[in-house]
Amino acid sequence: MTKPLRGIGAASVLAVLALATAAGVARAQRGAAPPRAAAAAPSAYSGPRTPDRKPDLNGIWQSVGTAHWNLEAHSASEGVPAGFSVVEGGSIPYQPWALAKRNENYKNRLNDDPLRKCFMPGVPRATYLPFPFEITQTPNHIGIAYEFAHATRTIFLDGTAHLDDLDFWMGDARGKWDGDTLVVDTVSLGDKTWFDQAGNFHSDALKVVERFTPIDATHVSYEATIDDAKVFTRPWKISLVLYRRIEKNLELLDYECAEQVYEKLFKQKTGKS
Amino acid sequence: MKTSIGIAGLVLAVLAAPALARAQDGRGAVPGGRGGAPASYPPYTRPASAFVPPRTPDGQPDISGLYVAIPLPRGIETPLVPMAGRGPNRANSEFSYSINERPKLPEGAIARPVGVDPPDGKIPLTPEALARRKEIIANQEKVEYLDGRVLCLAPGIPRSTIPAPVVGYQIFQKPGYVVIFYEQNHLYRTIPIDGRPPLDPNIRKAMGVSRGHWEGNVLVVEVTNFTNNLSNNWVIGAVSATPGVPAESLTTGHGIPHSDQYRVTERYTPIDANTIHYEAKIEDPKVFTQPWTIAYYAFARAPKNYVPVEYACFEGNDKNLLLMTNTDITGIRVNVP
Repeated sequence: MTKPLRGIGAASVLAVLALATAAGVARAQRGAAPPRAAAAAPSAYSGPRTPDRKPDLNGIWQSVGTAHWNLEAHSASEGVPAGFSVVEGGSIPYQPWALAKRNENYKNRLNDDPLRKCFMPGVPRATYLPFPFEITQTPNHIGIAYEFAHATRTIFLDGTAHLDDLDFWMGDARGKWDGDTLVVDTVSLGDKTWFDQAGNFHSDALKVVERFTPIDATHVSYEATIDDAKVFTRPWKISLVLYRRIEKNLELLDYECAEQVYEKLFKQKTGKS
Repeated sequence: MKTSIGIAGLVLAVLAAPALARAQDGRGAVPGGRGGAPASYPPYTRPASAFVPPRTPDGQPDISGLYVAIPLPRGIETPLVPMAGRGPNRANSEFSYSINERPKLPEGAIARPVGVDPPDGKIPLTPEALARRKEIIANQEKVEYLDGRVLCLAPGIPRSTIPAPVVGYQIFQKPGYVVIFYEQNHLYRTIPIDGRPPLDPNIRKAMGVSRGHWEGNVLVVEVTNFTNNLSNNWVIGAVSATPGVPAESLTTGHGIPHSDQYRVTERYTPIDANTIHYEAKIEDPKVFTQPWTIAYYAFARAPKNYVPVEYACFEGNDKNLLLMTNTDITGIRVNVP
């Protein structure tokens, strides 16, 4: 994973600078963005920090947008607002067979989307579902609790190695800090999750590298690089903004999707008998 | 083997205090305890500990880290039911640890059944609730009656803290919060300790709504607002029914109903650097004739290199339900936002 990370590093610093400028919190920058290898890249972040001097990501966050319906640009359709593409370059670089399969998935989405069976959403989809998630940050572990189907991830920052020979719906996540950016490397995601409701999919070769770069106390630039040589012609990247939910006394509530499956089942059964 | 040393130590401790008769994990349990024996256990007193945990940067007693459950008997019954025909090492059978090592009780721990109040160890069910429980136990082959944990529903409190086949816990602490991730069915609770008001009673959660505070080194959590939309949401008990155990006894999760009034007061007491004692007082005036309490040594710090893994329960459960109740859920789809 080192190679793609290097490439992404410089690009993301540029992206952060662009965002920072847009947000009006830009610092004076001199010259080109430094390569990732340089010690502690200059950071536009001036928000709160944890006792170990990392940006404080503790709290409840949510994405706003239409990525969970379709990562790519799309017009409105029944129940689905129109949206911009969050994919760098606009469209996902599918291999021809895979594009055909995606289109098939789209046709069958009301039946085949794993989310409609209440399965865990996988990564990165969990991040941009229209549900909040809560980050709990410690020096060695970062826990993410998702409101949808009470999915969780524990991101190990303590050098724990990836596990072998097991697949997980939410993957096997290892993280590290690159300056003020939390970089999370997730593998073993299996082949059963989708990226969105439009049928965008992957194989069991999927590897995801996410970069959480805080812009200020309430905004995080989120990028996920998708690498799956069985399905795509090259790695590709999505970019979103995560918004801190700042309502007083907010807490995650329940979206116990499986309960809804059983409610339907019991209704069907009592209807019959 | 470390395991055998642990067990030997436990047996010795039990032998040294014969009146206690048996260890928390049921090993050494002798038949004949049922019916009259509870009086032979000493009255329950909260464990006193001189242990002072380190402090988190924001000044909380630091209990964070990875833990595994300390095994209880097969159920949480009082009196303990002897476990006939079980081999000496049940790790990786009904207690399937990721590690083949059994956590043990702290030194000097008083081993006793977990039902501590009322002293007869029986659940003070109202006659209606008892009848309902018997009906549920008698109908476990029907999906409408099936144990919610088998359906992969969130098992609530205190059930999530009672050892089940997947028994890892991760406790996180951050300013204003204690957060618990349960390895079982990837459950979690965020426990605010900032004194915030309760939630609107119209908001219900399967794991309840938690409000915590520290009393010295003890984390006290009030849990309310539990879901009761399905008749399968049972929040008390553990694993499966033990044949022959009366319905009033503290065993299994099968069919102990709860109402919208159900509430639990939990106490997490750090005993030493490796052990947390757990107490849960359970109240529901619509279901129980009086409040009742369970208490036991619940959490042992996980061995070094313990890695919690995802326990995806619902995702593969359709085959299980087909086998157990001849119910096919594979065709059901729900709307998602």
